[in-house]
Amino acid sequence: MSAPVLVMSGIEKRFGGVHALRGVDFDLRQGEVHALLGENGAGKSTLMNVLAGVIAPDRGEVRVDGLPVRFANPRDAQASGIATIFQELDLVPGLDITANLFLGHELMRVGGRLDNARMEREARARMESAGVEIDVRRRIQELSIGQRQLVAIAKALSYATRVLVMDEPTAALSAAEAERLFRVVRAMRERGVGIVYISHRLEEVPRVADRVTVLRDGRRVGEEPASAPQARLVRLLVGRPFDEMFPPRGGELGAQLLRLEHARFAPRTEVAGWQAPLDVSLTVHTGEIVGLAGVMGAGRTELLSALYGAGQRGRWEGKVEVAGRAARLSTIAAARRAGLAFVTDDRRGSGLILRHSVGRNVVMSILRRISPMGFVSRAAEDEAAQRSIKTFDIRPPRAAIPVGNLSGGNQQKVVFAKELLQEPRLLLLDEPTRGVDVGAKGEIYQRLRALTNRGLGVLMASSELPELIGLCDRIVVMRQGRSIAEFPGGIDEKVLLESATGIAEEAA
Amino acid sequence: MTDAPKDNLVEVARLPPAAAARDPLALVVRFQSIIGLVLVLIGGVVFSPVRHGQIIFLSPDNIANIIRAISETGIIALGMTFVIITAGIDLSVGAMLGLNSVLTAMLMTSANLGLAPTLLVVLAAGTTFGALQGLIAIRFRLEPFIVTLAGLQMARGLALILSGNVYINISYGDGPGLAPPVFALLGERLFHNVVPVATLVFVALAVVATVVLNTTRFGRYVFAVGGNERAARLSGIPVAGVKVAVFAITGFASAAAGIVHAGQFNFGSANDGAGYELTAIAAVVIGGTSLFGGAGSMIGTIAGSIMLGALANILQLNNVNASLQLLATGAIIVLAAALQTMVGRREGSMR
Repeated sequence: MSAPVLVMSGIEKRFGGVHALRGVDFDLRQGEVHALLGENGAGKSTLMNVLAGVIAPDRGEVRVDGLPVRFANPRDAQASGIATIFQELDLVPGLDITANLFLGHELMRVGGRLDNARMEREARARMESAGVEIDVRRRIQELSIGQRQLVAIAKALSYATRVLVMDEPTAALSAAEAERLFRVVRAMRERGVGIVYISHRLEEVPRVADRVTVLRDGRRVGEEPASAPQARLVRLLVGRPFDEMFPPRGGELGAQLLRLEHARFAPRTEVAGWQAPLDVSLTVHTGEIVGLAGVMGAGRTELLSALYGAGQRGRWEGKVEVAGRAARLSTIAAARRAGLAFVTDDRRGSGLILRHSVGRNVVMSILRRISPMGFVSRAAEDEAAQRSIKTFDIRPPRAAIPVGNLSGGNQQKVVFAKELLQEPRLLLLDEPTRGVDVGAKGEIYQRLRALTNRGLGVLMASSELPELIGLCDRIVVMRQGRSIAEFPGGIDEKVLLESATGIAEEAA
Repeated sequence: MTDAPKDNLVEVARLPPAAAARDPLALVVRFQSIIGLVLVLIGGVVFSPVRHGQIIFLSPDNIANIIRAISETGIIALGMTFVIITAGIDLSVGAMLGLNSVLTAMLMTSANLGLAPTLLVVLAAGTTFGALQGLIAIRFRLEPFIVTLAGLQMARGLALILSGNVYINISYGDGPGLAPPVFALLGERLFHNVVPVATLVFVALAVVATVVLNTTRFGRYVFAVGGNERAARLSGIPVAGVKVAVFAITGFASAAAGIVHAGQFNFGSANDGAGYELTAIAAVVIGGTSLFGGAGSMIGTIAGSIMLGALANILQLNNVNASLQLLATGAIIVLAAALQTMVGRREGSMR
C-alpha cells in the first residue's frame, strides 16, 4: 500500500451546543476505496464538508500529500485535487453532457465563439477515462439517475485526480446501475484515485471498499477491513449487537387477511418503468409480517401501490380476497374501506406535509372520524396526536412542532402513526426503514411486531435483505412482476439473493 | 450549500423549537398582516390632513369610505385564500365580478326575476363557473393559472355579449323593468350613516370563511391538499373534490362581489372588476398566505384587505397621485413576500 494521500487528524467541530465532531482521525491512501459509515447525525457529512472546504474545523489538521492545508472554500479543495459528489448532482438538465462537463470552463475559439468540436472530443475522452459509455451529445434530462451519477463522476474527475468523495451515490440507483457504478469506482481505484465512499448501506461495503471507518456520535468508533462481518459493523454503528434489533417472531397466525391467487393488475395505460403485477400469489394472515423481496424493478412497489389503489389506474384480475371475500381494490377509498393502509417509501414526497405540525399530520387520515357534522373536534384531535406520540415514542414529544423539523426516524414514526390511527387490518409498507438510522430501525421493528401480535397483518417490501430475513415470518420473492418463490423468515441471505436475482451469486 | 452542516442541523432540529419560536423574524412574519395594518393605521393618523381640529382619517365618513371601498375586493380575497392555500390561483375573479354584475342587473330589470331568485341564480351561476374551471383543470391536468386566465377572457366576453357593451342601469320601483327597491339597500349606510351595507356583507362572509377554514374538516382538507397533494391523496382525502370546491368558492365569492357591485352602483357593467384579481391576490399574500400552498390565514387576508384599503385612502387624502399608490402597493407586496421567503428558507434549512 502506498503512502496516505490524505490525513485528517483530531478534527473537532461544534455547532452551537452540538459537538458534531469530537477529534476524528481519517486517512486515505492512494488507490483505495475507504468507506465511511455512520447513522444520521453521526458526523460523516460534517467531516466530509470539512474536507470539501464547506466548513472550517474548530481544531485539527488536514494534510494532503503530507502538507498541511486549510481550505477556505470548495474551490481551494478542488485546487488540491479533492472533489465531492453530493447527492444533489450539480448538472443542468436541459444541457447535453458536453456542455455540463465544461460548464463555466467552456473552451473558446479565437473571437469568443464556443469550440464545440474540441469540447465534444475532450468530453468523449473524459467519459471514456471514467469508464462510462454514453453519447456525450445526450441531454442530462434524457439520462437515468444512474447515468447522471456517472456523468457527475466524470465531471468531478476532470478537476480532481487525487481524492474523490462520494456521498451516498447509490441512494437513488437500481441494482444494475449500482453494479455499474461499482465497476467505475473500482476502475478509478486502479488508476490511483483515492475514494471516500459514504454510505449507510452495509451490504455495499464489501463490494466496493477496501477499508471502512465507522463514526458514531461524532467519534471514530472503529476501523475495519471491508471484509469484516456485517454483524460486527452494525455493532459499531449502533453500539449493540445486530440480532437484538429484531424482535422474536410472533406466535399464532390468525385468519387470512389478504389472498392473491394468480392476481394480475391491468393498468389502463402502460407506463414505461412501471412494472405491473403480472402474476402474484400470496397470502397474509393476521399476526404475521410477510416480506416482499426482489431486485429494483421487480414490481414490489407497484404491487403495494396497486393494492392500495394508489398506482396507475386500472383493475385487478384473478383472485383478490380481503378477509375471505372478493375485493375490488381499484381506488384508495375502496382499499381503505377494506381496511388497508399504506406507508410509502417516500415519506417526504408523499407521506407527510413537512411544514404542518406532527399533530396535523397524524390526524390527516382520520379527519372524517374526528369531525362529526364537518367540524373538527380539537379535543379528539389532541387526544389522537398525544396517543400517537406516546405509542410511537416520537421525539420530541410535542404535537405542535412542524414534522419537517424531526429526524428521519421520527418522521417515519409519524407516518406509521398516521396510518395506524385509522385502525387498519392490513398494513402495506414500502421500504419502511429507508433513510432511517439503525437505532430508529430497531424501534420500528419492535413496534411492527407488537402490532402484529395484536392482530395486524403486514405486507412489506424492502431492498435490505437482512431486514426481511430478521423481521419477517415469510418472504415472497418477486421477479418481473411475478411472485416466484416463498421462503420462511431466517432464511440464508445467499439463497434469498440467488432467488431474487435469478443468478447464483459470485463469491462476494 | 443547504446541506452543509447537515448533521448539526438534524441535532438542532431534535431540540424543542423554542429557538424557532423566539426567532423575531418568524414572529414578525406570523403577524405581519396585523403589524402592517397597525403601522398603516398609525401612519394614517400621523399623516392625515386635519380640518377644524378633526383628524380626517378618523372621521366617520372617511372610515366608512375605507371599509366600503374594500368590501368587493375583500369578498373576492376571502375566496382567493382558499384557492391559494391549495397552491392554486384564480385569475377569473375580476372578470367574473363584471359578468355577475351584468347578470344581476339584467335579471332584476329586464327579466323581472325578483330579488331572491336573482340572487340565487347569480350565486349559482358564479359557483358553477368556478367549479367548471376546477373540473377542467383536473380533467386535463392544466395549471389553474392557465384555466382561469382562459376563464377571465370568457367571463369578460360573455359579459360583453350579454350587456351589448353598455351599462345595464338599475331603476327601482314596482313594475316591469324595475328592480325591487330593497336591493338599493346595498348602496346605503346603516348605524348613524357610518356602516355601509356592502361592508356588512363582507363582514358576514369573512366570519363564515374564517370558521370554515379554521374549524371544519373541509378547511383541513384545503391545507392538506396544498401542503402535499400526494400525501393528502394517500391519506384518503378526496383531492379532486377539494380542488373543485375551492374554485367553486371563488366563483361564489366573485358572484357575491358582483351583486354587491351592482347594488352599490345601481348598474351592471361588463368591464368592471378589471384588476381586482390582483388586488385580491395582493391582500392574500400580504396576509401571510403562501403561494406555494399549505399555509395561510383568513384573518391575515382580512387584515391585508383593510391595510391595502387604508393605504390607498391615506395617499388619496394627501392628494398623492394614483400612480404612486401603485408603487407603494407593489413595494408592500415585495416586502411581505420577501419576509415570508426569508423565514421559509430558515425553516427549510432545518430539514
